[in-house]
Amino acid sequence: MSPISFRRRLVGGAVAGLAAVLLVACGSSSTTGTSTSEAPATSSGSSAAATGSSSAGSAGATGPGSVAQITGSGSGEIDKATYDSVIATSPKADDATVEANAWAKAIKDRGVLRTGGSETGQLFSLLDLETGKVVGFDAGLSQMLAQYILGEPNTELTVTTVDTRETLIQNGSVDGVFATYSITPARAEKIAFAGPYLISGAAIMVPADNTDITSVADLAGKTVTTQTNSTSLTALQDQVPTANLQPYTNDAECVAALTQGRADAYVIDQSILISDAIGNPAVKVVGEPFTVDPYGIGVTKDDPSAKEFVNAWLKTIEDDGSWADLWKATIGTVVEGDAPAPPAIGSVPGS
Amino acid sequence: MDIVLSNLSPLVAGLWITLSIAVLSFVGAMVIGTLVAVMRISPVAPLRAVGLVYVEFFRNIPLLCLLFLVVFGLPDIGVLFNLYNSAVIAMAMFSGAFVCESIRTGINTVQVGQAEAARSIGLTFGQSLRFVILPQALRSMVQPLVNVWIGTLIGSSLASVIGIQDVTAIGQSLNNRYAGGLAVFASIAAIYVVIALLSGGFGGWIERRVAVLR
Repeated sequence: MSPISFRRRLVGGAVAGLAAVLLVACGSSSTTGTSTSEAPATSSGSSAAATGSSSAGSAGATGPGSVAQITGSGSGEIDKATYDSVIATSPKADDATVEANAWAKAIKDRGVLRTGGSETGQLFSLLDLETGKVVGFDAGLSQMLAQYILGEPNTELTVTTVDTRETLIQNGSVDGVFATYSITPARAEKIAFAGPYLISGAAIMVPADNTDITSVADLAGKTVTTQTNSTSLTALQDQVPTANLQPYTNDAECVAALTQGRADAYVIDQSILISDAIGNPAVKVVGEPFTVDPYGIGVTKDDPSAKEFVNAWLKTIEDDGSWADLWKATIGTVVEGDAPAPPAIGSVPGS
Repeated sequence: MDIVLSNLSPLVAGLWITLSIAVLSFVGAMVIGTLVAVMRISPVAPLRAVGLVYVEFFRNIPLLCLLFLVVFGLPDIGVLFNLYNSAVIAMAMFSGAFVCESIRTGINTVQVGQAEAARSIGLTFGQSLRFVILPQALRSMVQPLVNVWIGTLIGSSLASVIGIQDVTAIGQSLNNRYAGGLAVFASIAAIYVVIALLSGGFGGWIERRVAVLR
């Protein structure tokens, strides 16, 4: 009854069969892969960007706070040379400044700034597979802080999630978290927030042929996708409790869910949506941002010198133009116009 | 803990989704697994081949990859299941491979003499399975099947990354809102542990009840 000998003869055939099935599987996953976020700016060639600007152009919205006018006329692609030179020309602290601060001195002694953040954050912190480094507004800030303290942008990234961010700061595994990390009083009870360094807002993306969703109120009863780690998730739970939420861990999956028809709308930071819409005629961004998200840098609460130092550094790069240069090189690739005025440090509850 | 206690209703809703996905997947896995196991021990060579390929494929692919293939891969070839069904389908196919192997192992514990005796008194393949082999084999399968059930239950937490609002996903969204940190995650883990322990205990009870006295 037990087909042992037959089994042996079968192994060869089974392996061939498996290989065939895997090939099919790879084929289908690489189709999905056009929107995979790990591939840096794959979909936005120059011609694609031109197509995309019309779909994103309809966004034309002025958000609350200092969220800028958005027309989506940019390329949506971070130019690496520009980005690198922005980091390279950012200021370096003199030895006395670092020596005088216990938190900064410990980092200098270690020789590396241990950061927490994302590898899949479009525009903010996206892994460049060629260099193995993360690129984006958040990533750039972390590299600038490292350069300020160490003289070179030497960072060591730990990927964080909503479940681990506060804990990793509290137990000293990371020096600072740069992760579109919204400052909230609940979080500020556990950790300290430097900043805010950017005020952002969530907007809505829908399939291009959708006409019945134009504002957050229209999301009632709809299936809405967003990112697991985002404050958009909380905002949706509060503002449209009847929406059927479908959170995924990264941008590419949310866009796939929208374009494949699993979700009616995708809600996330407006600049991320604009960058997705560029070069993707299947989707469009509608309405104005309906949240105000102040992003801060999470540091330890145990050592007050940490927040003090990071705030002083933020002030330095905001005053000397490095902050604006970084904004232009990253978020500015999708948002038209000059960099907005940075938000006042310590201006929101929890900061 | 306050965060957990003051948000019991979403957590219970999430737990319900976790349990329903796990139960449906396991029922599906039992059906698939039994069919494939019968194929694998059948006298028909092509059926055995199909069974072997099925088991070796689904047993050796990470569940997370399988979930992604079903959720994001199938729509690209025009097959779109809703999210809940996608999760159940992927997990039933995955666990089915393990159920199959548990059943086959159970059948193999029945001595060859039993099968030969069954055939020598003129029972067909189906009859010898039904009246001689399976009644004995099923008894030895209880604990292996409980293992598969626990694997299915625990594996269902992976559904949280494909947008299912199960108890794991609810825990994450509570952390997002209240910055509960690892305390919330530990509570979620405790929920899984309690269910798994109860399942193990229940399996042991069934096993004692149906044990063959030799």
